[in-house]
Amino acid sequence: MSSSLDQLENQLETFIENVRQIGIFVSDFQPQGQQVLNQKLQNLITNMQDIDKLRNAVQEVHVPLEVFEYIDGGRNPQLYTKDCMEKALTKNEQVNGRIDAYKRFKAMLLVELSHVFPNEMTRYRAVREELS
Amino acid sequence: MNELTRKVDASFSPKSSPRGSRSPMANQMLSRNDSTGTLKMTISAGKHPAVVHSGPFYLMKDPATENELTGANNLMAHFNLEHSYNKFTGKKVRDSLSSFLPTLPGIIDTPAHLTNSSLRSLIEKPPVFKEFTLLNQHQLAAFRLHPGPLPEQYRFMNQPLGQRRHRRHRKHKYRPGETPTQDGSGDGTDMHEKKHKKKKNDDDKERKKKKKEKKKKKQKHSPEHPGLSSSDPSRVGL
Repeated sequence: MSSSLDQLENQLETFIENVRQIGIFVSDFQPQGQQVLNQKLQNLITNMQDIDKLRNAVQEVHVPLEVFEYIDGGRNPQLYTKDCMEKALTKNEQVNGRIDAYKRFKAMLLVELSHVFPNEMTRYRAVREELS
Repeated sequence: MNELTRKVDASFSPKSSPRGSRSPMANQMLSRNDSTGTLKMTISAGKHPAVVHSGPFYLMKDPATENELTGANNLMAHFNLEHSYNKFTGKKVRDSLSSFLPTLPGIIDTPAHLTNSSLRSLIEKPPVFKEFTLLNQHQLAAFRLHPGPLPEQYRFMNQPLGQRRHRRHRKHKYRPGETPTQDGSGDGTDMHEKKHKKKKNDDDKERKKKKKEKKKKKQKHSPEHPGLSSSDPSRVGL
């Protein structure tokens, strides 16, 4: 997978470089340069064909749609990764706190129930032990 | 008002369990033939068939199977993402897209909807094409250009690659032997140095001025320049 991604990256870089060269070429166009421009345009199409050939090799790569919002907004997509990681950590801490709270609640409930219903709780504990 | 609420309360008073015969008490009332005590579930058929584990206690269920990996674990450490987390949160990530793709030519920091070139639109309305084919002579004729330079506003392609990066390097320039700091303290020392240099320059200027004045005084008193007054700037220069 990584090799196909590397290949795709190389192809994209070649394509971008070709586009850049065409950009420079046409910004101050010389009459004798038409033939070169035509050749570069054909190269551009060949580049696109090469990129298209790699399509099947990267089918398994999943990109979150939210990243496109960052890119379309002219923002660094690494900010998305950063936001995701911060959110994940916050959620992890929240769930951890919730689990902790439930554990404490269970312990307190068992203690209180044992005070109020001692016989039932003894039976309950016996049943639980049987089940586990 | 109180009466009304009392009435309402009375009308809502549950006379039987909302779960009906699922209650173990109700089961006892129905006197099932379960003398062994092994029947610990109720199977209800009908529209929504279900198996309800009643057990010896009302609503008692089997304890939930605990997953090995829960939110109680440090998931960041579990998936070996701590390094990435520190990388992204430790230093300030630059906001612009051009800082992520510094080698990409052209202006890429403008919102894509302004230029109608968003990636989202590419997904929502994918272009219809069969395959890429090389252009024939007729199609290439469409790309015949007029000689001459482009208007100024279309010349962004001329920007040399990595120009932005160079600018950034200049901004964070530091002397050899010094380590660049993230909090910008390095810039602070630079500023201090600049101020110091400015002061030095000012001192030099003052010294030069004094020297000039001394020279002028000498010339004034010398017999070679008899009537040259310092108040005439046009002549001083000559």
